[in-house]
Amino acid sequence: MSESPVKELQAKLGCEWPFINRAAKSAKEKTDQIRSILTSGLPLDSEDRSIVTFGSLARNEWTSGSDLDWTLLIDGMADPEHLTIARTIARSLEHGFKAPGQTGIFGNLAFSHEIIHHIGGQNDTNRNTTQRILLLLESKVIGLKPDAYERVLAGILDRYLTEDTSILTSGTAKKSRVPRFLLNDIVRFWRTMAVDFANKQRERGGQGWALRNLKLRMSRKLIFATGLLTCFSCSLNPSKVMQDAESGLGDTVQSFVNHLKQFARKTPLEVLGEATLSYKVPQKVISELFESYDEFLALLGDEDKRKVLENLNFTDAQTNPLFADVRKIGYRFQDGLTKLFYETPRIRELTIMYGVF
Amino acid sequence: MRKVGFSTGALAKGDFRRAVGMLQQAGVALIELSALRQSELQPLAEALPDLNLSSFSYVSVHAPSRIDGGTEKCVLAFLDTFVQRGLPIIIHPDAIQDFSAWRSIGSLLLVENMDLRKRIGRTASELSEIFSKLPDAALCLDLGHARQVDSTMSEAALILGKFGSRLKQLHISEVNTMSHHESLSLSAIRAFNKVSHLIPDDCPLILETPVRPEEIQKEVDRARDALAFSALLPAGVA
Repeated sequence: MSESPVKELQAKLGCEWPFINRAAKSAKEKTDQIRSILTSGLPLDSEDRSIVTFGSLARNEWTSGSDLDWTLLIDGMADPEHLTIARTIARSLEHGFKAPGQTGIFGNLAFSHEIIHHIGGQNDTNRNTTQRILLLLESKVIGLKPDAYERVLAGILDRYLTEDTSILTSGTAKKSRVPRFLLNDIVRFWRTMAVDFANKQRERGGQGWALRNLKLRMSRKLIFATGLLTCFSCSLNPSKVMQDAESGLGDTVQSFVNHLKQFARKTPLEVLGEATLSYKVPQKVISELFESYDEFLALLGDEDKRKVLENLNFTDAQTNPLFADVRKIGYRFQDGLTKLFYETPRIRELTIMYGVF
Repeated sequence: MRKVGFSTGALAKGDFRRAVGMLQQAGVALIELSALRQSELQPLAEALPDLNLSSFSYVSVHAPSRIDGGTEKCVLAFLDTFVQRGLPIIIHPDAIQDFSAWRSIGSLLLVENMDLRKRIGRTASELSEIFSKLPDAALCLDLGHARQVDSTMSEAALILGKFGSRLKQLHISEVNTMSHHESLSLSAIRAFNKVSHLIPDDCPLILETPVRPEEIQKEVDRARDALAFSALLPAGVA
């Protein structure tokens, strides 16, 4: 993979996406700042627990309005002190950073056993699914110890692949190599986010509707799109490890795990950028995707506009000129995604085969 | 059938003669003489000429896991006793202070991948750095350590993919959350199954599981099960 596909694209197209670049730079600065805070006292992470961030910081899209979504991810012996450690982290970050959102999914503890063992079924709660999928698609270690995080990533992927009978058996599914179990969960997550958006409108009485709508059209949709691309990459652009693993069932799972781990370490924009480079997506489509996303980040970084969107409900949004801009940005991004998934020859076949059913 | 042996340290800590006797009685043909503590190295080196190892088809030596400052040359001098006899030396990379001093051992030096307590040598990427400093060294793959680092064994698969040509010996055990060796359990056996096809049949397997003399043969059989290739079983199926 290219080290910075987003930079490579800008060079190739002879353009600049200033807000994407600025947000990435800010994210790096914030990460360094947070790391410095977290390591100033006694160690808070260890081989058994990693401090993991999600959201805009993990995506390298930090703007002035970003909040800090984090969790203490534990993969080890149970310790009653874990809650104390999580609270210490929260206290050390409370001055200078917006606290995590209201859902309660972030800003506290997450346990590897639930995340890895409860995939589907009664015990796979909305919270559990969210933590798991975001670990794969939108996460980054902000402490010093990534050990637990790396193990949990591998454990999650191993679960999806070991039990994906479609890859392990012969026939078309094995030939196409798309990890269906994983893909289905990513699709489920996207649909859940969309349904939860409607639910929040009801629960919060329309408060913050426009800003959530913008994020659903853009960053939430982006991680869904890159989740699909990640799954499709097993077929369209398998790594050398996967290519070598042609014989024996035992090779398949580990080669997929090692291939997919690489994607988990990239940001969504990097995955998207890499895909547009690898699959020779037309420049017009690339521009649609990245320019609209650049405008999205520009909006989020504009405090006045962000405030308007935060206070805009559905009814008022229909006649609000700023929200008209939001719509245009969202449509343009969607157009780009539609062309990417339905008009790029190799991706199109997989979208048709796996995108709906 | 895979050849399986034991580390003397697993059977009789600090008493290699007793462990040698146990293995001879059990008819085990592979042995790793353990000098895991630096204090054990000199007695082992001095005993070597008189130690009857004729019943063993494979003998290796585990170097100290920690070397006191200023004594590395002395340790190397003792280890040379074994090198002269062509015995492989297993080393923890974090025990090495001056890599250049170890290069002369060449391919008889087997670098072992580390467990979670250590900060180097745990993954394929970290082992790359070690092998760049010891280009002729071989690999002792510790499956228990690899599983502790990544229970899916995908990191072990990566290590074998990258350094399989250097593989000269395996360590096999269950490593618990305290990083202690235990007897092999079902979950360890299933995990090791996942990479068994990547390990040559003739690679010596050395058990590091602490067992009593009467359990030696059963543990050897478990080790063979762990490295027997079997069809991938879904979770929950024994």
